[in-house]
Amino acid sequence: MNENVIEVKDLTKRFGAFTAVNSVNFDIKRGEILGFLGPNGAGKTTTIKMINGLLKRTSGQVLVNGKDADKHRKEMKRIMGYMSQKFSLYPLLNSLENIEFFGGISGLSKKAIKAKQTQMMETVPPALLKQKTGDIPPGVRQKVALFVCLMTDPEIIFLDEPTSGVDPEVRRDFWFEIYHLKQQGKTILVSTHNLDEVEYADRLLILHNGNLIVEGEPEELLKTHKKESVEELFKDAILNASGGSEPF
Amino acid sequence: MKRIKAVIIKEFAHILRDPTSLTIVFMMPVLMMFIFGYSINFDLENVEAGIIDLSDSEPSQNLVKKYVNNNYFTITDLKADYPSPIDAGERLLKSGKLKEIIIIPADFASDIKTQKTAEIGVIIDGSDSNIANLVYQYNERIIMDFTSQFRNIDDILKIHTKVLFNPEVKSAFFFIPGLIAILLVMISALLTSLSISREKETGSIDLLFISPLKSPEIIIGKTIPYIFVSLIAGGIILLFARFWFGVPIQGNLFVLLLFSLLYILTSLSLGILISTIAPSQKIAMFATLLITLLPSIMLSGFIFPLESMPLPLQVVSRIVPATYFLKIIRGVVVKGAELRHFVAEGTALVIFTAVLLTVASIKFSRNRKRVK
Repeated sequence: MNENVIEVKDLTKRFGAFTAVNSVNFDIKRGEILGFLGPNGAGKTTTIKMINGLLKRTSGQVLVNGKDADKHRKEMKRIMGYMSQKFSLYPLLNSLENIEFFGGISGLSKKAIKAKQTQMMETVPPALLKQKTGDIPPGVRQKVALFVCLMTDPEIIFLDEPTSGVDPEVRRDFWFEIYHLKQQGKTILVSTHNLDEVEYADRLLILHNGNLIVEGEPEELLKTHKKESVEELFKDAILNASGGSEPF
Repeated sequence: MKRIKAVIIKEFAHILRDPTSLTIVFMMPVLMMFIFGYSINFDLENVEAGIIDLSDSEPSQNLVKKYVNNNYFTITDLKADYPSPIDAGERLLKSGKLKEIIIIPADFASDIKTQKTAEIGVIIDGSDSNIANLVYQYNERIIMDFTSQFRNIDDILKIHTKVLFNPEVKSAFFFIPGLIAILLVMISALLTSLSISREKETGSIDLLFISPLKSPEIIIGKTIPYIFVSLIAGGIILLFARFWFGVPIQGNLFVLLLFSLLYILTSLSLGILISTIAPSQKIAMFATLLITLLPSIMLSGFIFPLESMPLPLQVVSRIVPATYFLKIIRGVVVKGAELRHFVAEGTALVIFTAVLLTVASIKFSRNRKRVK
């Protein structure tokens, strides 16, 4: 549990004069759920994309399983799964076709893809899976997107705002699924701005204006900072950071 | 009033700070005036013409001089340059390298001397109806100038004209094949540019980038379906041209298919390149229409003859793929020209495709923005 799977060192991203992520340092331990909190524009997606190789960073280093992520891109692709903020399924294809496509580009065999489709049909009614993904409810789309992300059985999973736009019940079910993944030994980084969700995370990070302002286990943080809820902790942290004083 | 003032101030601030608005206000008029001002010109200069002087006499030399010493024509002496000048002339007409051949018969000098009505033969390429009409008029002017030395003899010289390829000089036969070239580049480039920029907008491109797919694999996989789609679009346009507008297809359909395929590949590559730069579908569509339609209509010879454009625009026309395909499609459809007539044009399209695809692949790979 204590072994670091990902080590992020001085990660920085600048777009011209604007610093989106400012010298961020943290690590993710094997089999933990790391909650990534922050208001819109805090730099959560930018940080995730720099870790999984989708975005070129300005400076810093990412080590995955002790290896430099830049030098082992092929291996990184194999062990990382990514579910983007917009779910990013092809809206004109149905869910089964999306599974077939993403399975195909990931190098899965026809038989394996067929098995995956069957597996999906066990959890979602086939009639829904045969509709274009642009037409199905967001909750189902989210389920399919997570399924696609997990198709290659990745060791590390990045979920970028996976619960945005879905109702609380679906969100709860979704977190149940994430918890189930943790039990399988997966390492998960989840970004969110739904504060009530972080109770499920083992540790949380709060990012504000590209700076990491809070890091720790939720319960411990609440105790240390004498706060009743994560929401209170979050608001206070952002307020302090915005005021220019030392947040914690 | 205060409210309107606030809107006006905001709008001015927006215009002054928005690069797109500034480009529309300052760059576009200058660019448009330059392109339209120089390209919209129906006067011709230096039309490529070949002369076969079979008389080789003093009067025929005088007539040749009249053809040489004006801005209308650039004359090639076919008799001096080719062993069988008539065959060479017809071949050059077919490939578009000459627009007319002037034949001065052997008895020209004796007819002039005896004050009989002499005749010269003129064979004009009728595939471009505008150029054909102008060329005919320029011949008449030169002949009028030549005959002015023979006072009191009005009909000392007559022109016997033969119009090849489009004897009725129908403008549809000229414009419809040209239209195919314009539509094909626009449709093909739009297809790929929108396809990739759509993926950028929906975020699905990230899932492609994070997958084991390599950039060339994405580009190839995205291009191949659109080759077929574009070919179908091209086929529909060609059927319309043939059966609705009645344009006869004189040449080999296989040759047309081969060059169309090449042209479609060039256009799809252009679309991919645009999509690597455009951040959204809207911008990709606007850029594609601007980049494909404007130069293809104004600078390819679709409406305005390249020969009448100033040299800088003629140079620019060389980097417009439609310039080459236009020549090919008009040649094949209207003149029945063959594969061998378009080696240079075909090579140009191959080079375009190679360069555009290479640059697009490099840009596409850079867009993945991974740390190397």
